[in-house]
Amino acid sequence: MSATRRSPGMRLAFRYLAAALITVVFVFPVYWLFIISFKTPDEIFAFPPVWYPKSLQLANYHVLFKDGDAATVGNSLILASVSTFFAMILGTIAAYSLVRFKTGGENLAVWIISQRMMPPVAIVFPLFLAYVFIGWVDSYVGLIVLYTAFSLPYVIWMMRGYIEDIPLELEESALVDGCSRWEVLWKVVFPMARAGLFATAVFTFVFAWNEFLFALVLTRTEVTTYTVQVTHYFGGQSNFWAKIAAMSVLGTIPVFFTVAVMQRFLVRGISMGAVKG
Amino acid sequence: MSDLKISNLHKHYGSFHAVKGIDLEVPSGEFTVLVGPSGCGKSTLLRTIAGLEDSSSGTVEIAGRDVTWARPRDRDIAMVFQNYALYPYLNVKDNIAFGLRARKFAEAEVEKRVSRAAGMLGIGHLLKRFPRELSGGQRQRVAIGRAIVRDAVLYLFDEPLSNLDAQLRDDMRVEIKRLHQELGRTMVYVTHDQIEAMTLADRIVLLRDGLIEQQGSPLDLFERPKTRFVAGFLGSPKMNFIPATATETGVALNDGTRLDMPGRSGMKTGQAVVLGLRPQYIAMAGQSLAKGHARVPVTIELVQPTGSRVQATMPLGGASIIAELAAHDVSRPGERTEIDIDMTRAVIIDPKSEQVI
Amino acid sequence: MSATVIRPDRNFKYWIIAPAVFLLLAVGLFPLIYSLIVSFMRIDMMDTDTSFAGLYNYKQLFRDARLWQSLLHTLIITAIALPLELILGLAMAYLFLEKMPGRQIFVSLLVLPTIISPIVAGATWRLLLDNQYGPINQILGWFAGERVNLLWTISPTLVYPAIIFCEIWQWTPFMFLILLAALSNVDKSQTEAAEIDGASFWRSFRYIVLPAIWPVMAIAILIRGLDLFRIFDIIWALTMGGPGTMTETISVYTYNQGFKQFETSYTAAIAFLIIAMLTIIVTWAIRRMGLAK
Repeated sequence: MSATRRSPGMRLAFRYLAAALITVVFVFPVYWLFIISFKTPDEIFAFPPVWYPKSLQLANYHVLFKDGDAATVGNSLILASVSTFFAMILGTIAAYSLVRFKTGGENLAVWIISQRMMPPVAIVFPLFLAYVFIGWVDSYVGLIVLYTAFSLPYVIWMMRGYIEDIPLELEESALVDGCSRWEVLWKVVFPMARAGLFATAVFTFVFAWNEFLFALVLTRTEVTTYTVQVTHYFGGQSNFWAKIAAMSVLGTIPVFFTVAVMQRFLVRGISMGAVKG
Repeated sequence: MSDLKISNLHKHYGSFHAVKGIDLEVPSGEFTVLVGPSGCGKSTLLRTIAGLEDSSSGTVEIAGRDVTWARPRDRDIAMVFQNYALYPYLNVKDNIAFGLRARKFAEAEVEKRVSRAAGMLGIGHLLKRFPRELSGGQRQRVAIGRAIVRDAVLYLFDEPLSNLDAQLRDDMRVEIKRLHQELGRTMVYVTHDQIEAMTLADRIVLLRDGLIEQQGSPLDLFERPKTRFVAGFLGSPKMNFIPATATETGVALNDGTRLDMPGRSGMKTGQAVVLGLRPQYIAMAGQSLAKGHARVPVTIELVQPTGSRVQATMPLGGASIIAELAAHDVSRPGERTEIDIDMTRAVIIDPKSEQVI
Repeated sequence: MSATVIRPDRNFKYWIIAPAVFLLLAVGLFPLIYSLIVSFMRIDMMDTDTSFAGLYNYKQLFRDARLWQSLLHTLIITAIALPLELILGLAMAYLFLEKMPGRQIFVSLLVLPTIISPIVAGATWRLLLDNQYGPINQILGWFAGERVNLLWTISPTLVYPAIIFCEIWQWTPFMFLILLAALSNVDKSQTEAAEIDGASFWRSFRYIVLPAIWPVMAIAILIRGLDLFRIFDIIWALTMGGPGTMTETISVYTYNQGFKQFETSYTAAIAFLIIAMLTIIVTWAIRRMGLAK
């Protein structure tokens, strides 16, 4: 017990001060990234650093679009959205099988979630060789298959929780009313779980969007993702700072938007359902 | 012709034997109620009829067709569920139309049938609403509407009223009875509530531990129970059971009170028996001139008024019994009085076999 | 009833889980089997000898100092970053536990680092930590009162702090968010009762709060622990394992062996070692924490 008790007003003021300080520390790097992307070369390489630029000029972005580098964001978009789509469909019906029919018992469920723990680096080399063999390197289909597979454990795990919340009676009623098992999926399970589908899809999307190692190994020139593109600007001494920053911002803004929309699902999503939020 | 015929049906859940060989035939147009305490297998039986559970052995025939292994949708049934099972993302109209659309009915026909069913249930004005905007009673009506909108051979009800409050339950009971009379369809109804069973049923099937204990008309079961269990399960307040010994003219209670029974039969003199007396067949002395009454002095211990009647508790022959009396016949606890017991309606039970003699 | 009656929907449950299981086997089991087979051969950039080489590669593992150093680097980063993220996250969760106006705005802003790509996070810190034009040295200079010129991503004594700063910056909000939700779910009447009984903050935390939030905390630790064990992106963006091999983690090392040295068989053996280690740890952790439920 503290001997000195501060007044409630003081306490609140102290909490605001601490909250503001912490927030500044955590947000400053993001600010810095954004601000660099708008700086002129003179401002970037100025000493002491320029804390805020005089004007927000878009030349750095202009270069990315002119050289076609910005197209990598488009690649990321295609890969992330298509793989999310497939992962959601395949994962949800698999989760339904686990929940409703206890398919494979507890063992199959544990095996599936344990695939979430699979270290990418341990499997990427054999996969690379296999992809070379079947000609999937630097192709959309190659990465889409891989991202879909890698998202599945997460999707299945999350959707399991949402499907468990669907009253069994709704499905039984549909069965009696004349639906086939497949129709029950489309007409009852998917509509009932749509909030969960939406929330899970966002995180699946963000995972694929932010992925780096697979993209690094399995792409060359055709389907380079924005994360790989960012690393192309790293150089021993001559970093292309403006490009790094602008490219990073281009790749980050979509994620910020998606997550902002999904605020209320955030906690359940990132904690893999450990906290029902 | 029977619309439903069940032969030697068994259902195992692992080592648990839920249904232990049931034979049942439900004639066309009849309202059959499956009733029994929880865990007696009545819901399992209904779900097996619907095809929502597989039977472990035995057969189910609906309208003369063996459907034991048919999918629910191929059985030509409609079902009303305990928790209404309304789709929250569909409005009332789409909920009612769900089954018709799943069966690819033309939209004009859907329209016609939905408005007819809604009219019958008095929910025509709610068609555009969503389930969350409805009261419990309204939801139940929609759930029933979804069943009756279809032309099914068999209508199944799985404890449909158990989530409603008492007043609403009475109203809906009347509604369901009326629907049955109007539609004349075969209905099978599961409940644990014996009042629902008594009031709704053409025929009651009383289940216990996965077996049919007795089936017959409500009055049949009420007046001629075959076992102590049936006698005790139906009727409110419950039947009084008093240990007694058979005498040459009737029975003697443990305190020596002798009660004569007209038409006594089946008992061996001196045999230990249980005397079953319905509270309704006990009255204050002198109220009835009918024959076959036994007059006994008692002291009233407890009085529970229920309106026009009172339930009076009193000791008799070493047991505590309840009698349902006219409200103004009893004044207060402690009163010494005499009662008439209608011994023609008394039930004698063999305490060993629990069978009615 | 004949025994040949086929229940129409009997295989439905297998049909709907089959595609997912097939895909998981393809990307999970295939590489495993491949690694197992190839690890008993001696394939490298020069040589495609597919004859059985016995345990040659596995014996090599034990002699490979760089491998065990990379494992050590990984464990050092994990051992420092994970507890710090947990403690900082918990402290922040406590700070924001009580309602205050504008709390949601703070929380929304604090989440940003976690949803950024690790590659972008690494790149951002590369910009921040630049010895000449980065703002970190500048800010340190204000405190020191003189110009500071720390070579964060190059100097052997500073690379680890640099990596750990970045790692903590990105993932403390993750811990914070989960723990905030867990703390909010703790039954308030229990902590209040303890307070009335005169229990200190620490006692109440130890005996009431901690047991209540442990299941969630355990999952958070497991998720983060595993992510840290395979840390790659941040290292790649910040140091690429350098200087020399000073910050080479197990993932970076495996990548280098496979894609820079083309030691096919040897990489397979390393991969198999990693999978084996992780399987043991994860199985133990899942059993231990009752995660399967």
